[in-house]
Amino acid sequence: MEILRNTNIDFMKYRKFWILVSLVLVLVGIFSVFVHGDLNVGVDFAGGTQMNLQFTKQPQVDRLRTVLDGAGLKEFTIQRFGDEDENEVMVRTRLAKGEEQGSRAKVEAALDRELNGDQAGKPDVNRIGADVLAGLLTRADPDRLGAAGAARYLQTAEKIVAQRSKAGLFKSWDQLAGLGGLSQAGLQTLQQSAALGHFAVLGVESVGPQIGEELRMQGFYAVLLSLVGMLIYIWVRFELRFGVGAIMACVHDVLVTLGLFALAGYEFNLTTIAAFLTLIGYSVNDTVVIFDRIRENMRKTRRKPLIDVMNESINQTLSRTLLTGGSTLLVLAALMWLGGDVIRGFAFVMLVGILVGTYSSIYVASPFALLWEDWFGSGARAQSAGRSTETPAPTKAG
Amino acid sequence: MKGSNLLWRGVLILAILVISVVLAWPLDEKINLGLDLQGGMHLVLQVHTEDALRAETDSDMDRIVKLAEEEGTTGLQPRRTADATFEIAAPSPDALDKVANLAEEKRFTGRDGRWQVTGRGNGRIAFKMNDAEANLIRNSAVNQAKQTIDNRINAYGVAEPNIAVSDNYRIVVQLPGVDDAERVRNLIKSTAFLEFRIVESGPAPTRQELLAATGGRLPDNLEILEGDVVDPSGNDVGNQYYAVQKRRTVTGRDLKNARPSQGQFNRPIVQFMLTPTGSDAFGELTGNNIGRPMAIVLDGRVESVAVIRARITDEGIIEGDFTQQEVQDLATVLKSGALPAGITTLEERTVGPSLGRDSIEKGLLAGIVGTSLVVLYMLIIYNLSGLNAVAALALNVVLLFGGLAAFDATLTLPGIAGILLTIGMAVDANVLVFERIREELHAGRTIRSSIDQGFEKALSSIVDGNVTTLIAAAFLFQFGTGPIKGFAVTLFIGLTASMFTAVYVSRWLFDFVLSRWRIQRLSI
Repeated sequence: MEILRNTNIDFMKYRKFWILVSLVLVLVGIFSVFVHGDLNVGVDFAGGTQMNLQFTKQPQVDRLRTVLDGAGLKEFTIQRFGDEDENEVMVRTRLAKGEEQGSRAKVEAALDRELNGDQAGKPDVNRIGADVLAGLLTRADPDRLGAAGAARYLQTAEKIVAQRSKAGLFKSWDQLAGLGGLSQAGLQTLQQSAALGHFAVLGVESVGPQIGEELRMQGFYAVLLSLVGMLIYIWVRFELRFGVGAIMACVHDVLVTLGLFALAGYEFNLTTIAAFLTLIGYSVNDTVVIFDRIRENMRKTRRKPLIDVMNESINQTLSRTLLTGGSTLLVLAALMWLGGDVIRGFAFVMLVGILVGTYSSIYVASPFALLWEDWFGSGARAQSAGRSTETPAPTKAG
Repeated sequence: MKGSNLLWRGVLILAILVISVVLAWPLDEKINLGLDLQGGMHLVLQVHTEDALRAETDSDMDRIVKLAEEEGTTGLQPRRTADATFEIAAPSPDALDKVANLAEEKRFTGRDGRWQVTGRGNGRIAFKMNDAEANLIRNSAVNQAKQTIDNRINAYGVAEPNIAVSDNYRIVVQLPGVDDAERVRNLIKSTAFLEFRIVESGPAPTRQELLAATGGRLPDNLEILEGDVVDPSGNDVGNQYYAVQKRRTVTGRDLKNARPSQGQFNRPIVQFMLTPTGSDAFGELTGNNIGRPMAIVLDGRVESVAVIRARITDEGIIEGDFTQQEVQDLATVLKSGALPAGITTLEERTVGPSLGRDSIEKGLLAGIVGTSLVVLYMLIIYNLSGLNAVAALALNVVLLFGGLAAFDATLTLPGIAGILLTIGMAVDANVLVFERIREELHAGRTIRSSIDQGFEKALSSIVDGNVTTLIAAAFLFQFGTGPIKGFAVTLFIGLTASMFTAVYVSRWLFDFVLSRWRIQRLSI
């Protein structure tokens, strides 16, 4: 199926209008991120502790707030996550300078006091490892197995812990019955010698302010150096004005996407940086394909003005630009829709970024290369064409 | 294209395919899953190397003073001024000279000494440790801490732990599939510094009460330590305080072995055995203090106090408010030795297995749906030639997994996203070629020549475009950590593979079809 064939759209005609539109979008992005502070910076960069907790009963968020307040935690957020009936909550606390160790222990202790006060130092079946669990059974030997018990109970304990790993936590003692051959007597032993805690920590991400600062700098350098690296590559392969055009388009994509990302409220973390760097790669790739065609056409028709060559080249590559964008968007849509909470921010950046990037490689990159030429170039079309033939020709396919 | 050429290219492609399959199959054995997918613990620990430096400074300072005292110079007042500097105040210029000469004579200072005299006057002499020596001590403290943690983790039994020293005196610990996170944290972090101290007075409910007993001021040879109050059923119900002697003759270093055991009323205890030198010192300590209480101090807290009934030499027990599991871990940490310096956790990422499994399931589902969509898309847009692209894509995915296995790379959650993204972007090279072939066909070229031209002309775009993304991936790899590195590797391998499949394999497929059948009209 061929959708576009021999299009002849004058993309460059309204280039000043589109540059203006882009400028406004970029400014909105800059404003929302850097002035209004909409960016939801995650623990990776801000420093802080994020805990995913699961409870045996649906937790009362207000009550949790009071408990954590009472434990002396400041600046925390509590939000539900996951499926409704899984009783899951995410707690995020900020860390000030010097609080490198994170607040996991504090949160856990506060919840223990609130929810597990009745356990009186008994081991918590929702927390202990298989060997400790096996130890409890072996010592009491509810099934009267004697010397053969240790190995048998360890097997049972491992099954129980594996089931707990799968489910997150046991909500009641009933869920343990029969697991890995746990007998009724065995269950009673556990009920006596151990307790069933009312919450479990599914995951912890704690980044001290010191590491947060380092990750911030690393992320910054990664983005900056990638941009510089690409500028140099395009400079060497093409010409400076094209390099500038490509980088302008790229910076445009990053800032506009960042603005929309901030407004959408997704968390900005390490994975997001990876998404942005990939976006930079994609954006430049998209632009380079068009520039490659411009270079080719410049060699073929030396007399044509650059602006016409650009229009012609954009039209010729239009079908490819849209088709590639389309296939990548399909994958990203699947990822955003089905990939889960952790990956959704990543998918959002790429999804929006590819839409913006496709637009910018048509409406921003070439006009900017042209602007650069108007401002700093010699203006002589023949000269630039002559220069471009001096750049090394691409190697031929074997 | 000649027939034999075609054959050899086919053989090469097949060989690469077979190698990839062999490398990557079965997937669950050959592909490493990151901690974010299989569940586990990632810790970045800061070793406070200044602790080790201070200990070393203290010990040298004390030795100099002791040597001087042995030679009859008394009244010296040593003081550590920073981590690696100290000064000694002497009552007379003569005494000061003695100290300076002695330090040189005993090789503390001078050409092979580790100390430099940085100032002298006003009845004081100041010493500073050489930087090279200080670095040596810091580095050895980190290595020793790593070794100690290694031993403890091995004793606990975690499959495939990864413990490495990193920059700035840090240790990165990666433990897949931990079933009791709290216990492992304690195991790693407990300094396990064991001391035996003679108790002068106490227990008392507050510090003030102890101070009041000695007239409000503690004698220089004593210090106050905290311990738990334990009720008869073994529960910890508060704190109490002891005044103990500062002198520590026997420490954890003198331990030969430690093992969990059971004491009176089946209470869990730790039994320990001392080294020969430890036994001598312990014998002296207990022999000289029969009838007095002795405290067993662990990491600065009094664990238990017992009255010395007789001279004890080579073994003893530690009682306290312990559970079975705690004595087991205590024995482990005592046996592995004390950490040479304190550590703090700078970063912790623990992913429970349930979260990891969830991520894998969702990633897999998104992958299947996304890939199916792309396949459908290519078939709709390019008809039969789309089939060519799909074959190239399938090979691309096989190569990607082969590459991951070959480089022993780790698949992470962002890595799964990277694979998907590569699948979306890999068809770009196909699209570039196919669009070009269409153009050439429209320009009236033959099928043969359109295909040749299409591949030839699209090549520079494909290379230029992919190199830019590879640059981004390289910087990501350089600056990224853990899961992000996994993403960068996936992207890098995926893009490289896609260039190969879209240019070389797809071309071969076209050539193969054209050589077998007389094609009148190219379905593209």
